[in-house]
Amino acid sequence: MSIAWNDSTPIYRQLRDRVVAMILDGVLKQGDPLPSVRQVAGDFQINPITVSKAYQELVDESLVEKRRGLGMYVTEGARDALLKSERERFLREEWPVLSARLARLGLDLKQLMGESKNEERK
Amino acid sequence: MTAQSMNPVVRARSLSKRYGAMKALDGVDFDIEAGRIVGLIGPNGAGKTTALKAILGLTDFEGELSVLGFDPRKQRTELMEQVCFIADVAVLPRWLRVREAIEFVGGVHPRFSPEKCRAFLAHTKIEPGMRVRELSKGMIVQLHLALVMAIDAKLLVLDEPTLGLDILYRKSFYESLLSDYFDENKTIIVTTHQVEEIEHILTDLMFIQAGKLALSATMDAVGERYAEVMVNPDKAEAARALKPLNERQIFGKSIFLFDGIERSRLAELGELHKPSVADLFVATMKGTYA
Repeated sequence: MSIAWNDSTPIYRQLRDRVVAMILDGVLKQGDPLPSVRQVAGDFQINPITVSKAYQELVDESLVEKRRGLGMYVTEGARDALLKSERERFLREEWPVLSARLARLGLDLKQLMGESKNEERK
Repeated sequence: MTAQSMNPVVRARSLSKRYGAMKALDGVDFDIEAGRIVGLIGPNGAGKTTALKAILGLTDFEGELSVLGFDPRKQRTELMEQVCFIADVAVLPRWLRVREAIEFVGGVHPRFSPEKCRAFLAHTKIEPGMRVRELSKGMIVQLHLALVMAIDAKLLVLDEPTLGLDILYRKSFYESLLSDYFDENKTIIVTTHQVEEIEHILTDLMFIQAGKLALSATMDAVGERYAEVMVNPDKAEAARALKPLNERQIFGKSIFLFDGIERSRLAELGELHKPSVADLFVATMKGTYA
C-alpha cells in the first residue's frame, strides 16, 4: 500500500491521526485489535520504530491498550472519549473562527440548515 | 548511532582502504546499533561497496573494525554464522535447481531453516524443481531473499538488493523484509540509489562521498537538524544571510535547505518542511561529478 505522507508532520503523528480517524468513523470499534507493528511496517513500508511510536501515543491517550502477549486493542470508551475531546476542540478552536465567518457573510444557522435539507432532497 | 555505546553491531574507527593511489575509504568512523535499519547512500564509486566488503571480511583494510564483536579479517568463519548478505550481482549458478539451492545452504549454514525458506517461497511463483536460469531477475532476488531470511542471523547486509527490479518486486521485497524478517534484535545495512523508496524504512542515514562520511545521523536527528523553507522573493536575501546548504527555484519562490538553524528563525521566512532524503542527498553531494 502506498501512502502519501505530508512532510510538515512526523509520520508517527500522521499514523496516530489515521487510527484516531478510524476509531471516530467506527471502522475500528472498541475491543478491536490493531494490526501488529510488523504488519503495519510492512504494509506502509515504514520502519517499525515509527509504528511503535504511534501506538505508544495512542496508549498514552488511553485510546489503545496493550494486552500482554496478544497485542494492541482499542479500549472500551475510546470513541466516546475521542468524540468528547474532538467536540471540545471544535468548540474551542474551530467554532469561533467559523462563527465569525458566518457573521461576516450574513448567514444564519436556520438558513444554513434549510440549505442542507434542500441539498438532500435534490 | 550514538557516539558512545556499549556493544554496537558494527564499530569502525579510521577505516581506510586504498586501491593504488585511489582512497576508496578515507578514515571513516561510525557505530551501528542493534535493531537499526541503516541506509548507506552515496554516488557511484563513493566507497559503499568497499565499506560493505570490509564489514563482511571480503577485503583487507586499514584501521579498526569490529562486527558483532569479531574482527572480520581474522574471524571470518565465526562472523559468517551471524551475518547474511545479498549482493547486487547474482551469484547463484544458473544450472542450480531451487530445491538444490535450499539443500546446499542447509548443508553449509548451521542457522538456516529449510522449512522457513520453503514457507517464504510458497508466497511466490517459484517452484522447487525450477532451475535458476528459468527464473526472471525479480524471481532470482525473491529466491535470494527467501534463502537469506531463513537464516537466523543478527546482521543482514544488502548491496543494491533491488537493482533492476520493477516496482512491484521492489515493494514486495521491502514488505517481506519488514513483516517477515526484521525485529529489534536484527540489524540491516542497505545501499540503494532508490532512496525515496526506503527513506521511511530507515532508522539511520549515512551519506558517503569520495571515501568519507558526509553525514551520519539517526532519521530523527536528520528531521531536527535539516529544514526546507519556501521563501517569497522579498525575504530571499534574509534567507541567504543564514547560509543555506542549497537553494532552488520553484514557481518564482526560492526553496532553501538549512542545517541546524533554529526553527523559530526559519518560520519567519516562510513555510517549513522536512526535506526528503533525496533532496538532502543532492544538496550534500553538490559538485561530486563536476
